[in-house]
Amino acid sequence: MSSESPAWQVDIDAAATAALAAVTEATDLAALREVEVAALGRKGSVTALMKRVGTLAKTERRAYGAAAGSLRQQVTAAIETQRDQIRAAAIAAELDDDTFDETLPGLNPARGHVHPLSRVRLELEEVFTSMGFSVLDYPEVESEFDNFEALNIPGWHPARDMQDTFWLKSGHLLRTHTSAGQVRAMHQFKPPFRAIFPGKVYRYESTDASHDHTFHQLEGLMIGRHVSVGHLLDSMRTLLSAIFKRDVQVRLRPGYFPFVEPGFELDISCQVCGGDGCSVCKQSGWVELLPCGLVHPNVLRAGGLDPDEWQGWAFGLGLSRLVMMRYGVSDIRLLLGGDARFVEGFHAGA
Amino acid sequence: MFVSWNWISELVDTSGVDPKTFAERFTLSVAEIEAVVEVGAGLERVLVAEVVAVSPHPNADKLRLALCDLGDTRVQVVCGAPDLVVGMRVPFVPPGVTLPSGITVREGEVRGVASPGMLASEADLGLSEDNAGLLHLDGCDAAAGTPLLDAVPLRDVLYEIDNKSITHRPDLWGQYGMAREVAALLDRPLRTLPVHDLVFTQTPPLHVRISRHAHCRRYLCTRLEGITIAPSPVALRLRLRSLGVRPINNVVDATNLVMLETGNPLHAFDARRLAGHELTIRQAIEGETIRTLDGELRALAPSDCVITDAEAPVALAGIMGGADSEIRPDTVSVVLEAASFDGAAIRRTATRLGLRTDSSARFEKHLDPNTAHTAALRFCRVLLDLCPGAVISAGLLDVGPHIDAPPAPTCVHTTRSYLRSRLGLDDAQLSDDWMDRALTALAFVVDRVPGGGGDALRVTVPSFRAGRDVSIAEDLVEELGRVYGYDRIPSEAPSVAARPPFLPADRAQERQARACLALGRGLTEVVLYSFESEPFLQRLGLGEHDRDGQPLPRLGLANHLSSDQTHLRRVLSNNLLAAMEANLLHGNSAADGHKGLQIGLFELSRSFVPIRPDETDHPALDRGLPLALTDVTARDAYLAGLSPSLREGALSALETTQPLPWQPRRLAIALGERLGGGQEGLVQAPRAVSQRLFREAIGAVEALCRQLQRPAPICARLAEPGHLPRDLTATQGHVDLQPAWLHPARHAAVQVGDHFVGLVSLLHPEVRARLAVPAEVVLVELDLDALLAVPAVAEKGEAPPRFPPSAFDFTVPSRASTRAGVLRDALVRCGAAVAAITVDVDWVAAFEDAEATDDFERALTFRITCRKLDGSLTDDDVNLARQALLEGLLDHPDVRGGWAAAMIVHHQQS
Ligand SMILES: [Zn+2]
Repeated sequence: MSSESPAWQVDIDAAATAALAAVTEATDLAALREVEVAALGRKGSVTALMKRVGTLAKTERRAYGAAAGSLRQQVTAAIETQRDQIRAAAIAAELDDDTFDETLPGLNPARGHVHPLSRVRLELEEVFTSMGFSVLDYPEVESEFDNFEALNIPGWHPARDMQDTFWLKSGHLLRTHTSAGQVRAMHQFKPPFRAIFPGKVYRYESTDASHDHTFHQLEGLMIGRHVSVGHLLDSMRTLLSAIFKRDVQVRLRPGYFPFVEPGFELDISCQVCGGDGCSVCKQSGWVELLPCGLVHPNVLRAGGLDPDEWQGWAFGLGLSRLVMMRYGVSDIRLLLGGDARFVEGFHAGA
Repeated sequence: MFVSWNWISELVDTSGVDPKTFAERFTLSVAEIEAVVEVGAGLERVLVAEVVAVSPHPNADKLRLALCDLGDTRVQVVCGAPDLVVGMRVPFVPPGVTLPSGITVREGEVRGVASPGMLASEADLGLSEDNAGLLHLDGCDAAAGTPLLDAVPLRDVLYEIDNKSITHRPDLWGQYGMAREVAALLDRPLRTLPVHDLVFTQTPPLHVRISRHAHCRRYLCTRLEGITIAPSPVALRLRLRSLGVRPINNVVDATNLVMLETGNPLHAFDARRLAGHELTIRQAIEGETIRTLDGELRALAPSDCVITDAEAPVALAGIMGGADSEIRPDTVSVVLEAASFDGAAIRRTATRLGLRTDSSARFEKHLDPNTAHTAALRFCRVLLDLCPGAVISAGLLDVGPHIDAPPAPTCVHTTRSYLRSRLGLDDAQLSDDWMDRALTALAFVVDRVPGGGGDALRVTVPSFRAGRDVSIAEDLVEELGRVYGYDRIPSEAPSVAARPPFLPADRAQERQARACLALGRGLTEVVLYSFESEPFLQRLGLGEHDRDGQPLPRLGLANHLSSDQTHLRRVLSNNLLAAMEANLLHGNSAADGHKGLQIGLFELSRSFVPIRPDETDHPALDRGLPLALTDVTARDAYLAGLSPSLREGALSALETTQPLPWQPRRLAIALGERLGGGQEGLVQAPRAVSQRLFREAIGAVEALCRQLQRPAPICARLAEPGHLPRDLTATQGHVDLQPAWLHPARHAAVQVGDHFVGLVSLLHPEVRARLAVPAEVVLVELDLDALLAVPAVAEKGEAPPRFPPSAFDFTVPSRASTRAGVLRDALVRCGAAVAAITVDVDWVAAFEDAEATDDFERALTFRITCRKLDGSLTDDDVNLARQALLEGLLDHPDVRGGWAAAMIVHHQQS
């Protein structure tokens, strides 16, 4: 370089010093971007110097152009280098960060709760539909005929006493069992068919931890030809194994229900001890689960079916009781008590 | 009800059968055994002791010292029993024996005197609760020192039967009936019950008259003289005790023994205390009373049946005798009653008086009148054995409708092949011979029908099973099945043809609604009772009213358990509000993500709406009867197949049943937030809280409609109380338009498609002020059936737009009363008119314009999003849309005059 520097050299040098200093001072990407705009942007200091080339004499233009271009390159390179350093430092710092708290509790969107009665009912509906059962819903306010006479329960029958009934002033009643839907189903479908009808039932009786005047049942009904006790055994074992998700043994004991003949109490192998005997099954290895039986010919007739041609089996599962068994609910009145805190104990989906 | 294995073993050969093992077979074939009790277990070392001397205890007034002879030795023990006397025979328990009560007898001192053992009471030995005195072994002729179990028949195995499992089997309420079952299961003969076989004299004991309405089917009586009242022998007393009956004296014990054996209760009157020579069985007269054996004076009602002598009632028929004619120590002659009363009448009276006895429990089961005859003869035999001096002094009187018109025996016609097929067994598994033996053992008479090829059978039912228990072939299927053993029946896959199940759409939709609200909206599902609490409704001033302000009809209960359940709910929201109030009081926060004390509940259930008898065209009409049975021919065919008692009820039901009330499925939502404090009688919620809760409720309804693929809901205020909004085109559904909780100024009627489906409303301030907790609550009541009746919106798989949208905001100066929805609808209408561009309008914000000097102080900001489907938007396109929208607001009454025009000019310049 000659010592006789041109006059504009001072400006170039000053601009270089200022720009490079600013680059070095920028310690984050945003600040660096500002520096870049201030130097190289449309109105930037370096750009302004480059634009000055037009004001110079022709002889100086080449040298000035080279110097300004070099300045631009120098600043550009310095910015790139600085940017790489800032990025590398930031990544290194993040990788090296020891202040992140991975133990804070998870954030959850608002999540509600499905009532356990709904959940168990929906689960059973799935099991039954997968096995060809229709899912039906019948009225809760019923006629005396559908709830009693059609089910072979005459007026004198102890069952009419035992199932103490809520009567409406209109002469109707609140169904005492989901069995009230049996004859409805027989009229709704052409046999053969199989169906379940879950729902609310009512008994006029005082309440305690294991009795409520309102509870839920699930009725099952199958109508076909030549239905035998052997079929009932097979169906119940298959269905209950699906419900309990394990191989369940069943046994039948005589049970008296006017709308089935023969009628049974069905026991299942104790799910706690597997049949070896424990306190839950009173050492017997069996737990009483549900009443069932072959549909009584009078019920078939009320359903418009000829008992010589069609037979069937039916069962009544206590949904409320199943929920209590599954979740260890100690007081049945919690189920319909409306306390959100109870339902909030159940987190799984619908 | 207990079954005594000892007793059974006297009636059937049970050798080689372990009663504990047999209990399972019994449970599976006869009745449920709740417990197997081993009486006498652990008492092997208890001895018969004879008290030879009694002396006072030196240190205690109430204790005495008994010197006991134990045969080869004598011991002195301390005894506190008041009935201790020299010469008595009592059980002696040596140290180390653990009694049924769980107490282990120890050698030790009682108040300073050594007592190596103890003398036992009935309670000590587990025979009864009676701890008042010692067990008297009088009449036991075993030598002192004999083991107690050898001296008296104490050791036994008892089956405790679940009474519910034998309510339909009157024959099983006696040991003899149980023995018949055991005999059939073991395939061994049943011994005949020894009865009195003497010829009765011809003189009737008394005259007996049965009133026509007395519910007495058979009445037998006789008279015995020369009675000496005494305690029964120890064996009999123990037997009664172990079956739960208190021994009293030989006559009363004999009636109870025969009752336990045959199942038919008996009653013995002291003959000398009956006035006149006539007994009448009749209904009680209003105002009549009787003092029963338990000492209670009981007021009688005409529905009760009584036995009277010439003067007054002497027994409450089938339940309890009268105190005046009871057997006393000086009784020398006895009138025995063996009767059969109608079960329902006995049950009515026993229930009315709260007096359940061993007798009423049996009569309630509708006993066979023939058993009464057996019981009478058996009693004579037992009493003559117990009381050798007694003589039967009169004939056996036997009267009643059952004698006047004996019922014909019940016969069942069936075939062996039918019986087998219903069990799923073949003729190798269930042979003809086995079938005949099993039925015969249960006292059925099996006859082959001539010409039936051995398959057709006529089975005659024994009278104690006839009528209500066994009447059709299916009943015989049960008899054979249980004797054969259900556990031996092979299971068999049913042959029903597989077909896809019928799944009503509403089940899936209910499920979706539930998932949407619980999982999507963070609400908690509750399942509530169907009854409404009248006290709650009154406290909050709730109720549903028609347009004229009249209360809407509800379904009332004819019987109810408490004032909380006198009616069925017509809507879900009232109960849901009650649950909300209770939860707010608990201070629950229902959903995890909700802040503060906000609670969100929903319920999906039926509600109950009366239908007037004249509403025969109601769309939801349900006759409550099978439709097919309205056809006379079908009805008669059905009735012809029924037993007379069932036919009567069925006919009456078919003729009188009224259509059922309407039971629509409803969905209710309640969102509540607890507020701080509140003035006396006034709770005010911050506007922001009310608005937010309301918007959340609307959001839930919108989400529900989306989830169920229904059109978006349109919400607007009712035009006037009880009337649908004027600008809604909906047909009114069945949601009541005027619930008392409706806030006249803060509610919306919800229209989906062209159906009005329900209401969303904040609580009326009067209702809110009556809540037990200061809170703001919004309620939603939707008619789910009406909502689902709206056709679903088809979903389409459209390709996403390829060109980016362009958006801008309008902040429109409007009135305080301006509804954002009204302006939005106006903008949407204008946007729809712009050709080739789709315009979406979304409300963004509302704020008060502090600088406004006129009425237009509410600024509403909308975001306008423009999109072109076939190319990129140009500035011209956007300007075109902007201008069209602004022009639409030029003369809008809710927009400050001149604003739109100024905006148009502004944009044209820029
Ligand atoms: Zn177990």
